[in-house]
Amino acid sequence: MGASSAEVRVLANQMLGPGGFLLTFERPNLDFQTGQYLSLGIPGHREQREYSIYSGEKDDVLTVLIKEVPEGLVSRRLAALVPGDRLHVDGPFGYFTLETARKTGDPLLFLATGTGISPFHSFVATRPDLEYTLLHGVRQGADLALTKGFGVGKVVSCVSREKGDWFGGRVTERLKSMKIDPKTHAFLCGNCDMIYEAFDLLRSAGVASDRIYTEVYF
Amino acid sequence: MKYFILNLGCQMNQADSERIQSVFGQMGLERTEEEAEAGVLGIVACSVRQKAIDKVYSKIHEWNRRKAAENLVTFVSGCILPADEEKFLDRFDLVFSISDLPRVPDLFRQYGVVTPLSQFTGEVVAPPLPTVRDRLGIATLEPFWKVTPTYSSKFEAFVPIQNGCDKFCTFCAVPYTRGREVSRPSADILAEVRDLVAKGYKSITLLGQNVNSYGLDKKGEELSFAQLLEEVGRFGAEGGHRFWTYFTSPHPRDMSREVLENIARYPVLAKQIHLPLQSGDDHVLIRMNRNHTMDRYRTLVDQVKTILPEATLFTDIIVGFTGETDDQFLSTRKAMEEFRYQMAFVAQYSPRPGAASARWDDDVPPEVKKERLQVLTEVLRETSLEYNRTLVGRTVPVLIEKPDRKAGYLSGRTEGKVSVRFRCDQVPIGSFVDVKIDSAVPFSVEGTLVSL
Repeated sequence: MGASSAEVRVLANQMLGPGGFLLTFERPNLDFQTGQYLSLGIPGHREQREYSIYSGEKDDVLTVLIKEVPEGLVSRRLAALVPGDRLHVDGPFGYFTLETARKTGDPLLFLATGTGISPFHSFVATRPDLEYTLLHGVRQGADLALTKGFGVGKVVSCVSREKGDWFGGRVTERLKSMKIDPKTHAFLCGNCDMIYEAFDLLRSAGVASDRIYTEVYF
Repeated sequence: MKYFILNLGCQMNQADSERIQSVFGQMGLERTEEEAEAGVLGIVACSVRQKAIDKVYSKIHEWNRRKAAENLVTFVSGCILPADEEKFLDRFDLVFSISDLPRVPDLFRQYGVVTPLSQFTGEVVAPPLPTVRDRLGIATLEPFWKVTPTYSSKFEAFVPIQNGCDKFCTFCAVPYTRGREVSRPSADILAEVRDLVAKGYKSITLLGQNVNSYGLDKKGEELSFAQLLEEVGRFGAEGGHRFWTYFTSPHPRDMSREVLENIARYPVLAKQIHLPLQSGDDHVLIRMNRNHTMDRYRTLVDQVKTILPEATLFTDIIVGFTGETDDQFLSTRKAMEEFRYQMAFVAQYSPRPGAASARWDDDVPPEVKKERLQVLTEVLRETSLEYNRTLVGRTVPVLIEKPDRKAGYLSGRTEGKVSVRFRCDQVPIGSFVDVKIDSAVPFSVEGTLVSL
């Protein structure tokens, strides 16, 4: 079925480090494919914004991962929500979905910056046995809290502005050092610059454009 | 009482306006093109560009000043952003969505407008109108679609088949003004098409914000877009009817081979494809959130040229989108040279209120946008002329649309929507004739009438 619209109750609002917070709310009669997003707004306010679903397809509740933008009209209001508050939900939308790629059995490579890790969390929550490699880029070590819930050894953390026990540099710098199988299905989610650069690197490595899936966060 | 409607925006708004006219006609109101003699003044609004929104504010300011001396009723409908709706409620007497159209007679009566219809019906208290946000979800558009429109042409009609958009292109606010993709029941669409053909209509355009996403919102419970076209095609073939069926605007993501094969199969499905490109650069397409790559688009164009070799190809392009570099623009120019469109609607980017890109810097200078527009227009002139020259010497069917500006001539369009001018003393507007094409220039051809 297509997208639908509902007003639901907030169930939890949990900080996940400085990089973002998890907003959990009631799940209306809404089916989605892992990787899709919702449009959220607060009743009484007219602006809405789109956020990838963080929770799994079969979960009883819906969760999204949000970065609070200091000048943001919507994210600041969402950050202030407490259990019991009302939330307007439209959706689901989008084509950043896993199933077609997963069924090929070809390697899966996920690239994310910041809260762009959200749809990949949904992938893994939906398919706990999924084989994948995730390169996750953040600016500081404290943001690595966003990788909570991923399998051991599956995530390569890339921290660009702080030295530590991780890859020091951007996701795309890590990608350059990898040998890419041209059969790879690559999912890129996060900021535009990372996606542009990764798209070109993957194309140069022989990955066909129909095996590259993009979801830009603005 | 007379009414005046200012219609802003696209063909969808025109189709909405035709249905509003029907309801007003049933209420006993009489249409006028003269604002000064109307007692009911309304706007079918468009939120695509700020200029169109500004026009709404300018008009209502003017009408509200007239109210000091005249008894006027004002309304606004169409594509309205939630933020504007709030302001319109203070300025207009009535603000309603197209989905509320069947309730409009009651709303006018409730407002105290006495029309011939309201004198003969009892008092009705209409429930409050839903807000834009209420309507963004499961829109109850079926009553609206049941309204028989007052077509503004006797031979060309626009039939809405789908409303709303779930694609969220970053340059566009339609998901926030029209709400979710909702498909009209196919039985209603086919009934309207049959009725139009019975009345002698020769050109029928199926309309939707994402027309070829038709049926996707009702998977399994409704025809697909390809199947809908097939039904129209079969109706035309079985009845021996002669008409041309177009559709606009499709999204490349949802264009299928099956759609093209059905167009090839049935003569009443016009051999003209509108395939919006928007940009010829993969990075810009990503930033626009178009959800397809140039490879995908190229595959579609190859399919069009293989399956429909006679078809003309039209497109939409935006130049100067936020962050568009010289190299990225060059990719678009190369794409235009590669795909050799017969027509392209090229627009200079301007932020559209409510769209995601309106929050970004509009950082391509106006003079650069203008220059890029001129460059693409030059390419288009070449490719249009190249195609038009292939028509010279051929005799092609033409649908006559109107008297030409040149005295003693008529103008019309080929099945592929190429403008044709030819000498003719008779005026069978709205009929098909055969014209032998004698000469070609960019964007049009001239010919000689062969047969009526």
